[in-house]
Amino acid sequence: MKHWNENDFKQWLYGLRDEDHHLEECLECRGEMERLRMVRARITEQPEMSQDFLAAQRRSIYRRLHEPRHNWLALRWALPVAMVLVMVFGLTLQRGRRSVPNISDEQLFSDLTAMEQSAEPKAIAPMHKLFEQ
Amino acid sequence: MMGVMADRLGASLDTQTSTREFGSWMASEQKRIFLLCRRMLDDSEEADSATQDAFLKAWQALNRPELQELEDAGRWLTRIAVNTCLDRLRSRRWQFWRKRPNQQDEQAILELAATAGPNAEDRVFATEISRRLESALQKLSLRQRAAFTLRHYEDRSLAEIAEILDLDIGTVKAHLFRAIAKLREELHDLYFRA
Repeated sequence: MKHWNENDFKQWLYGLRDEDHHLEECLECRGEMERLRMVRARITEQPEMSQDFLAAQRRSIYRRLHEPRHNWLALRWALPVAMVLVMVFGLTLQRGRRSVPNISDEQLFSDLTAMEQSAEPKAIAPMHKLFEQ
Repeated sequence: MMGVMADRLGASLDTQTSTREFGSWMASEQKRIFLLCRRMLDDSEEADSATQDAFLKAWQALNRPELQELEDAGRWLTRIAVNTCLDRLRSRRWQFWRKRPNQQDEQAILELAATAGPNAEDRVFATEISRRLESALQKLSLRQRAAFTLRHYEDRSLAEIAEILDLDIGTVKAHLFRAIAKLREELHDLYFRA
């Protein structure tokens, strides 16, 4: 006759195992089962709670019962619309930044010619400035 | 919820009467629902808010004309409360800034039974182990926590748990099995240490 072990009892306590033939015959296991049932009853009994806290909670619930309901569903479009607006604003800003300075064709041509004719690259100018003093 | 359920709140009752009946039902269920929320959320302040939300949702549902008659108002409310807690636990994953609940506040809200008397030592031990078990519930997944809480604290049958969580019984069994395995040490101390 094999007695129930700790796992068997735990599974029985939580509804994962049914009582079997062994339990009907074994006084020891039935006693253990009864003990566990009592431990569980003692441990899970509802603790005393502050009546003031419960009353305050009920008052809050009553207050909320009669508050006008916020129609959050009506606001469900607000976030997507806001996101689209932010994207449009961002794109507009970006396009504004990328826009080419408005110079005439003659000016552009003359700048390019000057760059081509120069012996030194244009980027060297800041380095020259360093040694000017 | 007795007569209120049968009369489908508001249909034949005036607002004052339905509020009063709802209030008495709420008073009878309030402590159980608060404790259920507290065990699932491990935070008294959030459990307070979840309890309020659950009753508010129940009130709103009762006032909807399409609601059908309820067979078991307690189970129905439990389902609302559990789903409210699950929603909060899911959104908690994104709240990395969220601070841990203050233990002193917890104690202030939950005044445990006086520890004086012949069983004082037992009671202190039981309280300590229960507290440890409640904290250990954090190790469980959301579904495992809900299934274990409903079985351990509310003594619900597997069929009831399945209905509350909208799962089949096999899945509930699997969740409970895993929960028991994860809480092995705590359950050992709870039942077999003495």
